[in-house]
Amino acid sequence: MIQITPPPRRRFGIRLWRKNKSFIYNLHPPQIPAAGARLTYTFGLGGLAVLATIITIVTGILLTFYYVPTVEQAYPSLALIDSVVAFGGFVRSLHYWAAQLMVVFAALHMARVVFTGGYRSPRDFNWLIGVGLFVIVLLWDFTGYTLRWDEGSIWALLVGTNLLKEIPGIGEGLYRLIVGDTALGNSALLRFYAWHIMGLTLPGIGAVGYHIWRIRVDGGISHPAPTRARPRTFITRKTLFFRETITAIAATAALIILSALAPPVLGAIANLETAGASETKAPWFFLAIQEMLRYLSPLWAGWLIPLAGLALLALIPLFDRRGPGRGEWFARIRWQPQVIFAGLTLVVVVLTLIAAAR
Amino acid sequence: MFTTNRRVALFVSSILLLIAAVILVFQQTQNQPWQQYQRMYFKRTQQPADIRVRQVVPQLTGQPELCLSCHMGLAEISPSHPVEAFGCISCHGGNGLSLKADQAHTGLRGGKNPGDLLVAQESCGLNCHNGFADEGKNHVDGVLRSLQGTYAGGIAQVRFSFGAQSTETPLYGVYGITDDHPATAAGLAELTAFPAQSGHPIDQKFAENCLDAGCHLSAAPRAEPYFYRSTGCAACHVIYQNDGLYQGSDPTIPPDEPGHMRRHELTAAIPFYQCNHCHNRGNYSLRQMDFLLRDDLPPAGAPISAQMPAEGRRLREYYQPIGEFTLCEWELDCIECHTSAEIMGDGDIHPKQQEMQYTQCHTCHGTLEELPTVVTVSAQHQTALRQAQINPNYTLNIGDQVIITERGELMGNTKQVDGRLILTSKVTGKTYPVNPVMGSGCQQTVAEQESRYCHQCHAYAR
Repeated sequence: MIQITPPPRRRFGIRLWRKNKSFIYNLHPPQIPAAGARLTYTFGLGGLAVLATIITIVTGILLTFYYVPTVEQAYPSLALIDSVVAFGGFVRSLHYWAAQLMVVFAALHMARVVFTGGYRSPRDFNWLIGVGLFVIVLLWDFTGYTLRWDEGSIWALLVGTNLLKEIPGIGEGLYRLIVGDTALGNSALLRFYAWHIMGLTLPGIGAVGYHIWRIRVDGGISHPAPTRARPRTFITRKTLFFRETITAIAATAALIILSALAPPVLGAIANLETAGASETKAPWFFLAIQEMLRYLSPLWAGWLIPLAGLALLALIPLFDRRGPGRGEWFARIRWQPQVIFAGLTLVVVVLTLIAAAR
Repeated sequence: MFTTNRRVALFVSSILLLIAAVILVFQQTQNQPWQQYQRMYFKRTQQPADIRVRQVVPQLTGQPELCLSCHMGLAEISPSHPVEAFGCISCHGGNGLSLKADQAHTGLRGGKNPGDLLVAQESCGLNCHNGFADEGKNHVDGVLRSLQGTYAGGIAQVRFSFGAQSTETPLYGVYGITDDHPATAAGLAELTAFPAQSGHPIDQKFAENCLDAGCHLSAAPRAEPYFYRSTGCAACHVIYQNDGLYQGSDPTIPPDEPGHMRRHELTAAIPFYQCNHCHNRGNYSLRQMDFLLRDDLPPAGAPISAQMPAEGRRLREYYQPIGEFTLCEWELDCIECHTSAEIMGDGDIHPKQQEMQYTQCHTCHGTLEELPTVVTVSAQHQTALRQAQINPNYTLNIGDQVIITERGELMGNTKQVDGRLILTSKVTGKTYPVNPVMGSGCQQTVAEQESRYCHQCHAYAR
């Protein structure tokens, strides 16, 4: 008698669609090492930075419907968004806070990677991508800040662009390239707008995608090598996806509440003739540089020291190439990169606090 | 690993948090200050609430303005400045596209008062009340050069008396001002800003106690009953009650907070008590270099109140006990007799009050030998016709016969009808007969025609 084995039941409907078609479902491999996906290991910081980026981009697209990047109309159009456009003030607030949190989450994510040794080979290249992304995030925030065209932002723009002139040899040329004129005006505003919504955003999105893709290529989020006492365990992508969903919903809700309760300020309209006459505080993520400018020459404070700091960050994988301690928080054996990072952070935080207290 | 129940609980609670956040956003967007002001407005005026952004696109600028979304119920400033034509920004400046007070009020000219002398050239003068070949139409420049603005005569007298300057001719004004083309012989070419820090003993105290204490158009008033007023053009043309309370419907102005205009209205019908916010409120003591307040004023309230019969109250409020005045000087309002050139200047920088205060009893009543001078209004009397046009209480037409002052100003509110002169009040519209001296029992010599001589018989007893 011939035994006929029934063919395996085909899966229909949503399950099949999810498996074959869903982009999000297939972002993750079917199984993920549990140690790398633990909340107390990553705190979800990279994911939160991506979430903040997505919210910033979506709200940014909405803002482009009303924002007019001309000297005459920039500030009035923001006032219009804040006042008249349905939920305009909220969308701008959400854009602002998501962007600020993007900087915060990206910085904390970097700290997590340093203090857990996640930058090590094979993830060293992805660390470099990450450092590049951090620079993009800062420039995103800075260009966005200047688009407000209020007193504070025009001051930051003036100082920021004048720093360009301090670069020996190419400074003047670079200034004209970036500002588009011999002084700030419509061309500068339009260029910063173009960089903000296109020039930085397209590479930013590409780099985020590449950064995420590399996680999978590099064998998932960093995790400790398995031992006999601690064998490798796995979670399914469904579990990870569930965690991500819950975190994203809760974080979005928190961001919405923050945005509703603390709308960003819009100062008095910028006046190009009096810009720079009185000192204003730089945006918070550049306060440290503003403070250094008080003590050092612009070339050192504005360029050489910040670039050296960035270079040091980028080179961290070189100081710690192999050996135990990967995937562990604060492993003593990897003390050098941690000290470098903590030292840099301390300097930036102290300078920022001094500048903020002024 | 989460159990299924915990997963469901986590999922549900995170969704609930998200819903709560969205509800918060909706609630916040429904409770912006402008919406709260509108609710307050509709509640006060007992109208059904219709809360929405109020936009005006004035013809002059073509730029949308949202100011009335908060300032609902604000009276139109004047029939000559309709909001559909001027909007708010033309005069006030500021940012009409914002509904947030701090953003909207950024760049306001003169704060709440675009008529302040610091900004009046821009807000009132630009293209409207300045820049004409006919100096009589350049009201802002006229006021800036007027004695009400410069206080030049007072400053010169005080400084000369105390030996701070060697001439009685004014050198200083409250602010510096020039005149390229003085039209009268006494007109000055220039005044320098008052030298409060000159080092001379009187200058600093004079500046602090007198000049900055409310004694001219650009000084902020004392913040107390009877003194509330605005500055610059609005010091006269925007009426303040003696108690300084707002009587209009703008919900952003607290009706129980003193220090506000009566209504958001410019007027040429200026009642006596508006002049009294500066004049006759006390005395200067040169010895103490200070201003001594009157102590005989009844408690401030609406000028016509139940506390005291209207006439009696007016008698008390108008002049100081030492003042001498006739019936017409407290029964009429100041602007019935004192002309606009006397008050707002004639475009010259005059050195003293006597130069500019020329309306006397005989201007309207004549003398024993002469009747007052009367002219027939013709098309050339544009100033008088314009003045009548902006005052709703009297009319003036070509062909009317009216009194003319010795300087050629028409007193458009007087009219000769059937050989008798009648004055129509610019403030109330009431009419009064103007009786000539000629033919009366008056025994005044013709050479002595200043009011002090008339007061010897006609002084009114308080």
